[in-house]
Amino acid sequence: MMKKNLIVFFVVIAFACAGCVPTTLYNWGNYSNTLYHFRKDANDDTRDKHMAELEAIITGSTEHNKRVPPGVFCELGYMHAKKGNKNKAMELFALEKTTYPESAHFVNRLMESIKTVEETGNKTVEKERKS
Amino acid sequence: MKKYLQIVCLAMITFSVVLLSGCVPAMVTKSAKFPLMYEEKPQSILVLPPINKSTAADAKEYYSTTIQEPLSLQGFYTFPYEVTSEILKMEGIYDSELLYNMPLPKFQEYFGADAVLFTTINKWDMQYLVLAAGLTVEITCELKSTKSDETLWKYTGTVYADLSGGNTGGGIEGLIAKAIITAINASLADYVPYARLANGIALSSIPAGPYHQLHGKDGEVKIIEQKHSQVN
Repeated sequence: MMKKNLIVFFVVIAFACAGCVPTTLYNWGNYSNTLYHFRKDANDDTRDKHMAELEAIITGSTEHNKRVPPGVFCELGYMHAKKGNKNKAMELFALEKTTYPESAHFVNRLMESIKTVEETGNKTVEKERKS
Repeated sequence: MKKYLQIVCLAMITFSVVLLSGCVPAMVTKSAKFPLMYEEKPQSILVLPPINKSTAADAKEYYSTTIQEPLSLQGFYTFPYEVTSEILKMEGIYDSELLYNMPLPKFQEYFGADAVLFTTINKWDMQYLVLAAGLTVEITCELKSTKSDETLWKYTGTVYADLSGGNTGGGIEGLIAKAIITAINASLADYVPYARLANGIALSSIPAGPYHQLHGKDGEVKIIEQKHSQVN
């Protein structure tokens, strides 16, 4: 037990030192917090707050000349798609691809599925989240 | 007399050296422990829904909000969990048993992911004593290649927090006050900050990804060697 505590202590110290590096790679803002509240109680209010936070991360990153964190454009786009804003969704999906080319394979699939939904009127993408 | 003192001193020093060396954990370099990370150089990681082995039913939902952010900060492209987990649900492979049986190349095929991250919640609980309560969160992370099926990286983060109230003065009133504070602290306990800390401990050992300035340069960084016999 003692040994385990000591290990945690060392790691925390190492971690605190690593935290001294002046700039972080991305600005994630309050992301995990608004996401947590959305998970805990999914309603229009918590959803809108999370979407607003994603918007804020995008603007904040651009202002500070930082790359938008991976997945943020895509997540916001997906949430727009679920609300029926397909054009906005497509725009954001395209931004995810240009920022992170490794996402292209997946994002193309998402874009395809939205196009198919448009064509067939199928509502799969708009399925309410179950949790 | 002087000689006697010397012997005592020497004995004490030897004793403390033995004691200290017993406490020093075994260290290993990142490249020695996780050589495949440096060979395969995974770029994109798909975080899979956590496997919950704790007794808390809601741990899975809450824990999964904490991992994408720190993983991305280690320099990897992380797929948006909010989107990918929903797709996995629609495909009917959200549950851990099914996920474990999925051939890993499928994740490459569908998402274009170089690697998948399995997270296991080993502990997410509270221990109650009469005048104290403690909270433990233990997370094991395992990164597996979608190309070679090999484990690229695996590490466990454990956090224990003492939630007992502080000093509330002596006497029986003090004890009662402490018991009440402990009960309140325990009922308000939010596991998420501790889960973040556990992630931090685990992720401190991962070789940096391509978007990190230390990518490919941290092979000599030493980490604490963990034996994984206690966790599956």
